[in-house]
Amino acid sequence: MFIEYLPRQTYLHRLDIRTKLIGFIGIVILAFIFKDPLYNLAIAILVGILAFSIRMPLKKIYDLLIPLAPVFILIMLFSGLNFGQNFHGTNGTALFYLLPGQHLGVTRGGLLTGCTFVIRIFTMVIASSIVTLTTPIDDFIQLLNKMKVPYEFSFIITTAIRFIPTMNKKRMLIIDAQKARGAKLEEKGIFRQIKNYIPIMVPMIINSILMANTLSMAMLNRGFGYTRSWTSLKELSFTKWDYLTIIMIILMVISGIYLRFGLNKGFFT
Amino acid sequence: MNKAIELEDVSYRYPKARTSNLKNITISIEKGKFVVIMGPTGAGKTTLSLCLNGLIPQLLEGDLTGNITVAGRDLSKYRVQTMSKHIGLVLQDPEAQIFGMTVREDTAFGPRNLSLSVEEIYERVDRALEKVRLKGYEDRNTSELSGGEKQRLAIAGVLAMQPEVLVLDEPSSELDPEGRAEIYKTIDELRLEKDLTILAVEHYSEEVIARANEVVVLNQGEIAWRGEPEKLFRNIPLLYRLGIKPLPVSLVGWDLYQKGWITSDEIPLDVPTAEKMIRNLLIKHGNRQLESCSKRSGIKLQEKKSQPLLQVTNLKYRYNSGQTALRSINLTVQKGEFIALIGQNGAGKTTLAKHLNGLLKPTEGDVVIDGINTKESDTSQLSRVVGYVFQNPDHQIFSVSVEKELEYGLKNAGFEGAEIKQRIDEALKITGLEKYRNVHPFSLGKGERQVIAVTSILALKPKILVVDEPTTGLDWAGINKMMSLIKKLHENGTTIIMISHDMDIVAKHARRVIVMKDGGILLDGETREVFSNFEALQQAAILPPQIVRLTKGLEDLGFQENLLDESEFTAALLRKLEDVQCL
Repeated sequence: MFIEYLPRQTYLHRLDIRTKLIGFIGIVILAFIFKDPLYNLAIAILVGILAFSIRMPLKKIYDLLIPLAPVFILIMLFSGLNFGQNFHGTNGTALFYLLPGQHLGVTRGGLLTGCTFVIRIFTMVIASSIVTLTTPIDDFIQLLNKMKVPYEFSFIITTAIRFIPTMNKKRMLIIDAQKARGAKLEEKGIFRQIKNYIPIMVPMIINSILMANTLSMAMLNRGFGYTRSWTSLKELSFTKWDYLTIIMIILMVISGIYLRFGLNKGFFT
Repeated sequence: MNKAIELEDVSYRYPKARTSNLKNITISIEKGKFVVIMGPTGAGKTTLSLCLNGLIPQLLEGDLTGNITVAGRDLSKYRVQTMSKHIGLVLQDPEAQIFGMTVREDTAFGPRNLSLSVEEIYERVDRALEKVRLKGYEDRNTSELSGGEKQRLAIAGVLAMQPEVLVLDEPSSELDPEGRAEIYKTIDELRLEKDLTILAVEHYSEEVIARANEVVVLNQGEIAWRGEPEKLFRNIPLLYRLGIKPLPVSLVGWDLYQKGWITSDEIPLDVPTAEKMIRNLLIKHGNRQLESCSKRSGIKLQEKKSQPLLQVTNLKYRYNSGQTALRSINLTVQKGEFIALIGQNGAGKTTLAKHLNGLLKPTEGDVVIDGINTKESDTSQLSRVVGYVFQNPDHQIFSVSVEKELEYGLKNAGFEGAEIKQRIDEALKITGLEKYRNVHPFSLGKGERQVIAVTSILALKPKILVVDEPTTGLDWAGINKMMSLIKKLHENGTTIIMISHDMDIVAKHARRVIVMKDGGILLDGETREVFSNFEALQQAAILPPQIVRLTKGLEDLGFQENLLDESEFTAALLRKLEDVQCL
């Protein structure tokens, strides 16, 4: 998820990671206090506007949501089938029955709840990917440092990410070398597949070990562990936009809470 | 204090090793010098460099005895991390020494560990990048750098620690000539800094001679020779004994010295000096008309009417990204040829070679091998006709014994039982690996692993053998062994297509040379013919071998035809001097 960063210069990109996380939490709170799908839809639209503002590629949204489609359908089905006892009035009466003889009735309240659940998931998925898409990996690491996570940990994360392209290149070289010796990698069947991939995996592991050896030497050569910490190159800092955004988020959450609990809106029984 | 490095009776044995890897090394190196360590693989060069900053014995254990003092500090009293401020060690593989995602971030890694202030870190980063000529690359992604750039970045990474001593372990052995030139340009600039002492491990003789203040030759863990590079490279028998590749021009010089034409001090070490020396010699002793009697000329490629073994027609290849990698390649290869494929990195050599066994399929055009169109076949079928040996043997070795390693390809090709055994026996016999049949491949050296890779392909008895830089990273003995193996296979009737950056090898072995540039074939012809076309070679950024350059320089003195190697040249020269008849 870290490497999904979308290098752009939008308002959200410029915000501090902490502001973005507060915003994310605000959206989660709002999404969970309202039960009415219309209110949740409003929140989802807000998130949609944010996604639009960072020019999030539609393909990305599509890739995120398609695997969730079966989940959405199941949620609708199960909550729709929720029997009347949870709901009152029109919400509790069955609209129609799935099985003859008044079995498995689908209620209006159940369907509405299902809609709310689906919209909540949508909101969450999009909101969280907005955070990762607008935040460079460095900021996450700074955050870890701020949280007093040991610097070895953030070093492991950066190094792992740095070596993804390297290992990928190695993997391709190894596959080519084994194919040239007649390796058949396209064969069907799980066990055969595993067996066929041994000639790829073994050199991969051996090469990784050799590389890790050099890596550990190179780390020491460059003073890793000279002191108990290291210099952070970039400090997280709030700008006035961060403060303004945080105030707005807090206002929205408070008014949301007032709307829900003070005025008792956005809820149904 | 003017000693940068002092070793006193240092011996070291790796854990589990039977004999010592370093034996009683005593050496002291003055501040500001550039010293080169040479010697065959396994001589202890890398081991020695790892001792210099304490990685041995702090990270790699084992028995270390003797005293080591670097930059005035007794190594037994300091941690590697502390020494990293005084001695910078750059290891062989640049890839595994890069930690950052951008050039700036990576260079900052060392200073950050020292907990310096952000301003000072950036100042050091700027200075280090400037020294390796990577200024302006700060925000580049490290995974997109070329090999030479990566190696320079690795050097910048240790320079940012501002050490007094810089140790480079084979900084250029995995690089192409262009990358190597980059590295040595950087080293040249670093040498100008008075207080930086540089110690480099190097295989390539040509780079060492003009630069090193001193050469230390290691052999089996001992100092076998030390002194000025000129003395070493003029003493051909000594070089042979130490396993170091002599320069072709000095081989010519050695022969002249043996015949009494010049003194030993006159043995040339580069092309311009050689040219001047020979010019003087010929002017003094007369210049007889040279009649052609070269043995290898006249072998014209046989124009067979029969079907060619390999036919490439209008081959075009584009990457998925749409970038063109090969444009209109036409190529015909007859049975029994020995072809060298040369050109800069990125010229398309490997891309073309991968079309020959179907690893890549043409975007347009056809590749027909032994009557099979690669479009209608897959790599596993083609592997019986075309053997492809990749550059790094470690990318294919996965079995617990050499025998099992050979079995893999044979089983894939559908051979069974007795046939497999017989083919393994045969292949092991050709390559001389019989004694290693049941040995774990990774317990052998790099050179031997390279031979295993070739053997595993050989067992399939391919009609065409494609070898991708078979000599990269090998020492002189390894190179000779590999080339005599390839020569033997060629003599047994295998068609050889070799990708190489080593022009001496190309000139010596290939019968036909194909020069590639920007995804196309720039030149294709007999070796002699191709190497005489200096203009085209220059376009492809290829430096012809020393002897070819020397012959070209002496054209006006009657060296008309192109002479490819030192023995041809010496013969021609002696005929001019002594009026020796052609054999």
